[in-house]
Amino acid sequence: METKFGRIKVLYPKQRLIDKIKGHVEALNAGLKEAIKPGRITIEYPRERRELPDNFRGFLLFDVDACISCFQCAFVCPANAINMRGAPNGRYYPCIDYTKCIFCHFCADTCPRGALHRTKIHDVAFSDMDEMLATTEELLKPPEMIREDKYLVKYEIKDGDIVLVKEETVVELAERPKFEIRPAKVSACAHPENCIACTLCVMTCPSNAISTKVENGRRVLIIDPKLCTGCGLCVKECPTCALALIER
Amino acid sequence: MVTIFGLTISEIMNIMVKEGVSIPLIQPLIDFLLKIPIIQYVVALILWKPVFAVLILPGLGGLMISLLFIIWFERKLTARIQWRMGPLEVSRPIAGLMQPMADGMRYLFQEVIVHRGAHKPYFVQLPILAFIPILLPIVFIPAGSIYGINSPYSLIITVALLALIPVTIIAIGWASNSKFAYIGSVREAFMYFAYEIPFMIMVLGMIIIYGTADMATIVEKQGIWGAFLNPFAFLGILITTAMATSRLPFEIAEADQEIAFGPFVEYSGILFGLVMTLAYEKMYIMGLIVSVLFLGGGGGPAIPLLGDLSPAIWLFIKALAVMMVMAFLRSIYPRYRLDQALRIGWNSLISLSLLSLVVAVIVRFMGGV
Amino acid sequence: MKDMAIDIPVEPPAELKSLFIPIPPEYVEDAYNKDEYLVLVGPQHPGSGHMRIILRLKGDIIMDAIPDPGYVHRSMEKLAENRLYIQNIPLLERPSIMDPGNYNLGYVRVIEKAMDIEVPERARYIRTILAELGRIGTHLYDAGILAVFLGHTTGFMWPFGLRELICESFLRATGTRITSSFIVPGGIRWDLDEKVLDFINKSTYTLEKRLKGFERIFIKNPAVISRLRDVGILNRREAIEYGVVGPFLRASGVEYDVRRVEPYEAYPELDWDVPIAEDGDAYSRFLVRVEEIYQSISIIRQAISDMPGGPVMSEDLIGRIKEKDKVSRDIRGYFYRIFSKLKLPSGEYTVLTEAARGTLLYSIVSDGESNVPYRVRIITPGWAYLRGFMESLKGSRVSDLQAIYGSFGYFPPEADR
Repeated sequence: METKFGRIKVLYPKQRLIDKIKGHVEALNAGLKEAIKPGRITIEYPRERRELPDNFRGFLLFDVDACISCFQCAFVCPANAINMRGAPNGRYYPCIDYTKCIFCHFCADTCPRGALHRTKIHDVAFSDMDEMLATTEELLKPPEMIREDKYLVKYEIKDGDIVLVKEETVVELAERPKFEIRPAKVSACAHPENCIACTLCVMTCPSNAISTKVENGRRVLIIDPKLCTGCGLCVKECPTCALALIER
Repeated sequence: MVTIFGLTISEIMNIMVKEGVSIPLIQPLIDFLLKIPIIQYVVALILWKPVFAVLILPGLGGLMISLLFIIWFERKLTARIQWRMGPLEVSRPIAGLMQPMADGMRYLFQEVIVHRGAHKPYFVQLPILAFIPILLPIVFIPAGSIYGINSPYSLIITVALLALIPVTIIAIGWASNSKFAYIGSVREAFMYFAYEIPFMIMVLGMIIIYGTADMATIVEKQGIWGAFLNPFAFLGILITTAMATSRLPFEIAEADQEIAFGPFVEYSGILFGLVMTLAYEKMYIMGLIVSVLFLGGGGGPAIPLLGDLSPAIWLFIKALAVMMVMAFLRSIYPRYRLDQALRIGWNSLISLSLLSLVVAVIVRFMGGV
Repeated sequence: MKDMAIDIPVEPPAELKSLFIPIPPEYVEDAYNKDEYLVLVGPQHPGSGHMRIILRLKGDIIMDAIPDPGYVHRSMEKLAENRLYIQNIPLLERPSIMDPGNYNLGYVRVIEKAMDIEVPERARYIRTILAELGRIGTHLYDAGILAVFLGHTTGFMWPFGLRELICESFLRATGTRITSSFIVPGGIRWDLDEKVLDFINKSTYTLEKRLKGFERIFIKNPAVISRLRDVGILNRREAIEYGVVGPFLRASGVEYDVRRVEPYEAYPELDWDVPIAEDGDAYSRFLVRVEEIYQSISIIRQAISDMPGGPVMSEDLIGRIKEKDKVSRDIRGYFYRIFSKLKLPSGEYTVLTEAARGTLLYSIVSDGESNVPYRVRIITPGWAYLRGFMESLKGSRVSDLQAIYGSFGYFPPEADR
């Protein structure tokens, strides 16, 4: 195979007496240069806060109105950190166990409605292990914050060197990033000829939107679009691919 | 009538006041204090030149101030070179200057653990005993008219006393009775011989140049600084200072990545605080000797307001400058291996010291100083 | 020189029996009878990491070195058998957290090979950039560890400061500083915009500029050179025999680089060199990696300037979804729907990747029915060159242990998996 690869042979620097003296002088000089004009890149964290990008993977917040209880976040979580718990309204909402969470944000990327969304909060303290299991209520609003920071620091590259740009602002950390909510869909029986009337979908549906009735001696599915949240669980469960998600 | 050595108290007071340190800046205060009974004896004693030399400057007081300063300075300078901030949170307004003090407090209240295998009496005593060879040389180092003992052999005695310090470190390693402490002590012993011989040859060279071993006379004779008279000896002594005080690149006995602080591995609490500062204290004494031999000692533009204190302060500043150079080395160099350091000591440094001896003889025959 | 020995019977220390060291008691007695002694370096030692090295010393010379790894073993291979293919991505980048690009890439490429997924051009370039960023970050990390092992604190702080640039690049691109889990089968999770690519491009120039200062204070420092030169030598034959991999193999004069032998991603389209050295000592192992940093910088710049447009997710995977164009740039909202049904055809699939510290092997056995792997095998470079590392210790001094350790950049979590 024709390639453009070459190879470089790494050579030792020469080590005669004169080279050694030069090496010592250069090392001392390099140190002295920094001592006079340091290229400092430290951010004094509690007083200053570094600017984080919008896609920063931090503490997760939850939007109860957008949630369709589809369980996908709990299924995809590699660390089993997400628990779905029953709410008084009969739906199931996620709780996040922060002892397990690894902040891969597979859940946030999975959520079809953007109900779990990322924030720039990365420094949450818990008083004990039990408290680290964040219940749905605790995920609804950002945690209590004591802000010490007065500056926002940003790494910028100017003239080929890195500089810290300080700005005297306090940024909102729990801001919801702009997320285009995908159009809501509903489940429908796209291929009724495939249906074998196993009623797995009926049993799966978390919002009891699917019912059956007998028509012409054949059991057919009735999906109530008002109750259907478009979670797609039934589509996943259907053994014969009779169901599909369609635009509402 | 109470007599001490056949002198009455008032006669002793007279001697002490006559030989007291005169500082025009606070003279009214001293005069006032000397009139108060009882306190007058204390003030007169402290201001008596031999006692002042040992207790205040360049003695114990100077040692403590330089210690607190140099530890802070070293950390701050290293942090600056390494793109960091350094100690800051303790006393923010003065850039964390109180940090060494806070660390000292922490050591003071930490439990001192004496492990089962240690030789208990020596293990506890030695860090304190190590202060003797450190404090004794100060008696002989003159700062202008302030000195403890004036002797024609003061330089030789100082160097001899300095040579005792590694012995205490080796003994500390032995008393610790641990593998790493043992390796560290052996390394210290090796290093001891590698730097001590060139160091003594170079001091000998300086004695040849000045024609005397009396430090007070040496300072008087330095119209031109010794560093310019014999630059080889100056360079050599700076390197031996780094070796003797186990600074990088010669921090071989303590090498924390290899043998976990070597001889001091078993210490904790205030005893660790004491052994840790040993090297810095030695550095202060070496700094004083280097400034006496090469940097004109207490010489410098006299400050009339400070009177007798002026040369002492110059000496102190020069010693601090030498310590700062040593502190700077820390962020530049890695650690040499033991055999490489020994090669430097027995090969390069001895050549350098012999060269400096030749230069000294030449300077002597050119007319000396 | 004649060997001198004082004939005093020495009892092996009693605690050697109770420390659960993986050597037979006869070995201990033999050592002590022969006027040698054992020093256990680690696992709590500041210079050993989470590993114990049992040194058999004769005076100051290391006669034998026995590794006792496994203190950070996390049974990743077994854990991976109980997770969906997609859920293994965060797990299998954990062995070496500073090198997420390569570790992700290796695993994802096995899945792509098994399922025959075509990766879009733009995604391949971005993956190359991430892999090279990880490589630079790892080499800087190792340089810092080498420096602090030698007692050079500035040499420790500067590479870690420079690594901040790499972390910042990862942060802007993927949303995290380390463990990015960004590369997924068929592409990457979302597209990088021009601003991020521009920052990465600019930061390579800063990196190059500041590396020059690092070169003066550490790499070309005569004290460093004298510490590393002629220490821990592995010649060409030994290096091959003991199975040393990666830059450490290349430092012994063997020209082997997976990126060159079995090219993947965008490497064949870019112009770069393989650095090699002849001597195989600690210093050449270090120099080769320094040269690799410069090569990686060049690769990143080329990849950014040649970056093609287009989707970043494979058609093969998002084929069933209606808004294909939107999803092909950004899979947010479809992650589970796309990846939960990954199922590999039955068989065994093996892929080699050139991770920062050497050849990384991922092998997956699939039964073709379940949505979890039947068996996952990882051979990390750290594990591969542990043998060579131990062999190179023999005959050197105790103080060289740290220099050799640092020159190999041995990272116990990586070797133990």
